[in-house]
Amino acid sequence: MSENVASLSVSGVTKRFGDFTAVENLSFEVRPGRVFGFLGPNGAGKTTTIRMIVGITIPDEGVVELFGERMSPKLQDRIGYLPEERGLYKKMKIVDQLRYFAALKSIPKEVADKRIDFWLGRMNLSEWKTKKTTDLSKGMQQKIQFISTVLHDPDLLILDEPFSGLDPVNVEFMIDVLSEFKQKNKTVIFSTHLMETAERLCHDIILINKSKKVIGGSLREVKESYGKNIIALRSVGGDAVLSDKSLVVSVEVHADEKDIVLADGADSQHLLRKLVESGATVTKFEQVEPTLNDIFIEQVGGSKSEPPA
Amino acid sequence: MRKFLAVVKHEYKKVVYKWSFLLGTLLFPVLGLGFAIVPAIIFSLKGETTRIVVVDASGKILPRLKENLSSERIKEKARQAAKEQIGDLNASQEEKMRRGADQLASGFTFVDYPWAGKSVAEIRQDLNTKAATDEIDAYLLIPADVETKNASFEFRSRKGGDFVANDTLKDALNQAVRSQRLSDANINETLVKDLSQNIAFEAKSINEKGEEKDSDMLFIASLVIGMLIYLTLTIYGQVILGAVVEEKETRIAEVLFSSARPFELMFGKLVGVGLAGLTQLGIWVISLAVLVGVAATQGGAGDLLTGLPSISPLMVFLFLVYFVVGYFVYASIFALIGAMVTTVQEGGQFAFPPIMIMLIGFYFCFAVIRDPNSDLSFWVSIAPLFAPLTMPVRILAEMPPFWQIALSIFLNVLTITGLVWLASRVYRVGMLMYGKRATIPEVWKWIRQA
Repeated sequence: MSENVASLSVSGVTKRFGDFTAVENLSFEVRPGRVFGFLGPNGAGKTTTIRMIVGITIPDEGVVELFGERMSPKLQDRIGYLPEERGLYKKMKIVDQLRYFAALKSIPKEVADKRIDFWLGRMNLSEWKTKKTTDLSKGMQQKIQFISTVLHDPDLLILDEPFSGLDPVNVEFMIDVLSEFKQKNKTVIFSTHLMETAERLCHDIILINKSKKVIGGSLREVKESYGKNIIALRSVGGDAVLSDKSLVVSVEVHADEKDIVLADGADSQHLLRKLVESGATVTKFEQVEPTLNDIFIEQVGGSKSEPPA
Repeated sequence: MRKFLAVVKHEYKKVVYKWSFLLGTLLFPVLGLGFAIVPAIIFSLKGETTRIVVVDASGKILPRLKENLSSERIKEKARQAAKEQIGDLNASQEEKMRRGADQLASGFTFVDYPWAGKSVAEIRQDLNTKAATDEIDAYLLIPADVETKNASFEFRSRKGGDFVANDTLKDALNQAVRSQRLSDANINETLVKDLSQNIAFEAKSINEKGEEKDSDMLFIASLVIGMLIYLTLTIYGQVILGAVVEEKETRIAEVLFSSARPFELMFGKLVGVGLAGLTQLGIWVISLAVLVGVAATQGGAGDLLTGLPSISPLMVFLFLVYFVVGYFVYASIFALIGAMVTTVQEGGQFAFPPIMIMLIGFYFCFAVIRDPNSDLSFWVSIAPLFAPLTMPVRILAEMPPFWQIALSIFLNVLTITGLVWLASRVYRVGMLMYGKRATIPEVWKWIRQA
């Protein structure tokens, strides 16, 4: 798989349910070896989009291409999909469930058995192999579900809210596993509400709201497009300068510093000069990037959708 | 295809590798046998002998009563009654009857009680005391005027519920009094008995080839077959419903749909569970065949089987075909329901209509047994939904013309194709709809859109 072929390309995809348009004219690309964050509030169309990517539903318009081919059932074997609301067979032994899920991904039994032992060992769940789902704690079940997603060593991993319900130790563990996938030049897509996690893990993101793409691109680009007008300032004096509306739009006072939002067209260096000239003592003057959380709230907050968790 | 087979294997194992399956497979024949045998055993259990005092004011009845209650007489009577009902007796049945008669006869011990010179009231009081102190169990007061029509016989017993013993006593007494009355009127009792014997009424059904079949046994065998098909269809229909709802409820469906086509998943489920059902039926059929085989070589017990309608291998084959056909008809309906609802409980409510249809089909079996060649029998054994229940019974009652069987299978396979098509469309959409149960218009929309 060459670097320049996108592992996933979604172009002009639209999905309607009756009068309701769940996804409208959505386009994005995901490149191999990168972690892609699929962000958006509840009801934005994330799950619908993911279902089209994994071939559960077919788009009304537009095309989903995987590894340079149009999506088809045979490509499903190369995808590992962990849905947000996932389950296991309650009264079935763990090993039997995992074997079944592997068989559905065309993995021969002998190979599956080896991988099951490997993953159960890695997750410290070996002694639960022949137990039933009902004997396991929720966290354990979640790990088993994760194993079922990666047993066939997929080239594209799609995880819907993979960290919800996991304790911090297991979150770290999961992140380690995801980085391994990234290192093997596989592609990881995950959707989340947790902007801190997304910020930490993702190379690229897309934010959708009300069925449409809001922003997308590499994390760097997205932040840069938002991040030039906020200054973290710690100073004594200079209040007159800060109330100059041609320079400063708003001042948010925190415990020992202020967040300054620059006016359109104002230059940060110009502000700094003015402050120094006014005789203020400046101990901190830092141009800050907005967090993904800020961007998310700015883009989505006005809408009636639920706030991010 | 490999994935389809994986689904079939998975569903098969899910049903068969369970204690409940083993238990059901073993228990069903045991229960069946139990229902046939246990009542017989319980009724043949010996009650304790009844100690009885008979006060015969007439002085004519007691000897006759004692004679009638002797074991020879009871045996003779039982044989007479059986002869009228069944016809010729074979050895094993006669043996059984002899044992029964012995038990009834030994059921009474006559206790002497000097009553001369006492009034009826005194006697009554006396005997009630004896009964209360457990000296005797029962007493019988025979009036002096036995010849009159309204002569009343007083029987008091502490074991009033022992109807076997009570009936025996009543019969014996009745007969004793009747004999006495006849002899008083100078009528020859033997002559009366001979002349008033029941006529021999032999009921057998004949088929178009003119072969005879025993009606009673045919009725029972047909009922068993109809019941068996109805039960297995209901049970395995519910298994399908449960399996579909589980995958929807736990959201496993979403993972499955990202790995295989919905049609493969649904049809694999139908086939897997169906094979499990066939396995169970197969075990029953084979064990029944072995049982019959063993019984046949064991002589005595084999006589019981002579009345059974003969079942040819072709019939067994057709029964299995109709089981498979019926299974797919109803299982696809249950799969459709499973995809519509959100919980097993809700599924239970919606399972009512198909179960009702099956039940109606089962009731039609009676019409078919009574007249396998009527127009009604023809139509219900051809009609989709009913045929899987009624046709096997019709085949057992009387093999219909081949074209009718072919037509009925053809129509029902057509129905299956339609139902599976419908179910797979509902399945593909419904399995991913969480939260609320789908309404009929919604389901209709899924069918058109999917």
